[in-house]
Amino acid sequence: MPKRLQHALRRAMRSLWENAYLNSVSTGVIAATVLLFGVYLSVQFNLNRMVDTWDRDIHISAYFHPDVPEQRRFDVRDDIAQRTEVEQVRYVSAEAANQWMQQRMPAMESILEELGTDTLPASLEISLTASAARPTSIDGFARTLSVTDFSDVDYGQEWIEKFEGFLSLLKLLGAIMGSLILVAALFLVMNTVHLVVYNRRNELEIQKLVGATDAYIVAPFLVEGLTQGLFGSLLALFGLAAVHQLLVERLKDTFELAINSELQFLPGTYIAALFIAGSILGVGAAFLAVYRFLSKVS
Amino acid sequence: MIRAYHVTKRYGDVHALRDVTVKLGKGEFCYVTGPSGAGKTTLLKMLYGSVTPTEGKLLVGGVDISRLSRRRLPYLRRNIGIVFQDFKLIPSRTLSENVGLALEVLGTSRDVINRRVNAVLSIVGLRGRGHEYPMTLSGGEQQRVAVARAIVNDPSILLADEPTGNLDGAMAIEVMEILQAINLRGTTVMVATHDTGLMNRFPFRKLRFEAGRLVES
Repeated sequence: MPKRLQHALRRAMRSLWENAYLNSVSTGVIAATVLLFGVYLSVQFNLNRMVDTWDRDIHISAYFHPDVPEQRRFDVRDDIAQRTEVEQVRYVSAEAANQWMQQRMPAMESILEELGTDTLPASLEISLTASAARPTSIDGFARTLSVTDFSDVDYGQEWIEKFEGFLSLLKLLGAIMGSLILVAALFLVMNTVHLVVYNRRNELEIQKLVGATDAYIVAPFLVEGLTQGLFGSLLALFGLAAVHQLLVERLKDTFELAINSELQFLPGTYIAALFIAGSILGVGAAFLAVYRFLSKVS
Repeated sequence: MIRAYHVTKRYGDVHALRDVTVKLGKGEFCYVTGPSGAGKTTLLKMLYGSVTPTEGKLLVGGVDISRLSRRRLPYLRRNIGIVFQDFKLIPSRTLSENVGLALEVLGTSRDVINRRVNAVLSIVGLRGRGHEYPMTLSGGEQQRVAVARAIVNDPSILLADEPTGNLDGAMAIEVMEILQAINLRGTTVMVATHDTGLMNRFPFRKLRFEAGRLVES
């Protein structure tokens, strides 16, 4: 290891020890910021997963005109089944649809009987392949279905689009809030580091007078900032794991659902992003604080 | 070693130095003297690059201070030892660490730092006391530590701003004897002082300033 780096590490460790209280405050602020960022990432990650799952579950219900003959319906089904973007096509007769309705709504059995067997039209239940089952492509596919054969085509597009719009809004709000929190945290950590710098101003001035370069003076503060950033991120990760566990337990009790498989903890790349964010916060704040001091000292 | 050509320093409308032209050779010892506010400290600050001239040219070891960039300044200072009236020692560091600081910033190895620190502590009469802390020492001893720090990297110029200002007579003489010994080893020494008794006891060239003007050289 180069001597200068050894010196910087030794001086950083010494300063961390000598200014333990202020360094703990900086670490705490970084941990709180990274935790907030982690919660935001966690919410976004799980909502995105949910939308992906729903996207995969989307299927098209195409309802035949009542006057389309049965043989024509089978021909149309076979034509659609040939298309590359189609995974599966199931023909549902009017009888089967009405039977299904009666089973699902036993309370309305008498009304349905009065209405007759042709309340619900015959339909095709079309499942698309994973690549084609995106809201944009599913819309395109639906438009290709013949209007002479089908009276209505339904695939829950509007709802999904609205939800995706909500997610985009959430992302935008998250980005704005995240930026504000990041700036506030940067300011807080910077001022805490500035207090450490102020405590050591005489020493730093002497270092300058005996020929220390700015890099020599800044280096241990950057190491301190990095240490605070990594340690703060680690604390935040523990906090996030605790929040996640608590949430899973609560939702399980409330909804009696297998939430565990629905709500997932952040994957490795997101955790790495949290550590990077914490490190940038620590190092950036330290750099700005020391740079502000050095610019005033000749 | 030091050459000033028509150097002027103004702070707004106030002149700290006016049209100073002076030369100081290698290995020379000189006093910078005059009443308070005469410009002694300003001249010394200019020599170690803390203040830049408003007008004129100032060469230190061939380097033009007035044109020196902030990035190059540390490298100039590594060739200049500085001693202050208030010692400027770090209270939380041992004497060895305080003295070794000037070598540490150069990236010198721990072994070399220890060897050099012990040698200069011997020169200033503090051999074997490197583990002590500044606050446990007398004013004279603290100033000797400051001198040790100033000479540990063997600079060609030693600047001392009122080095005996906070010391009583006997301690002031001790410090002056050390500065004289350092000068005899070939280092150019410039001492800012208004202590006439000391200047008479250790007679060297005087640069006398009054209201920023050099009136005796």
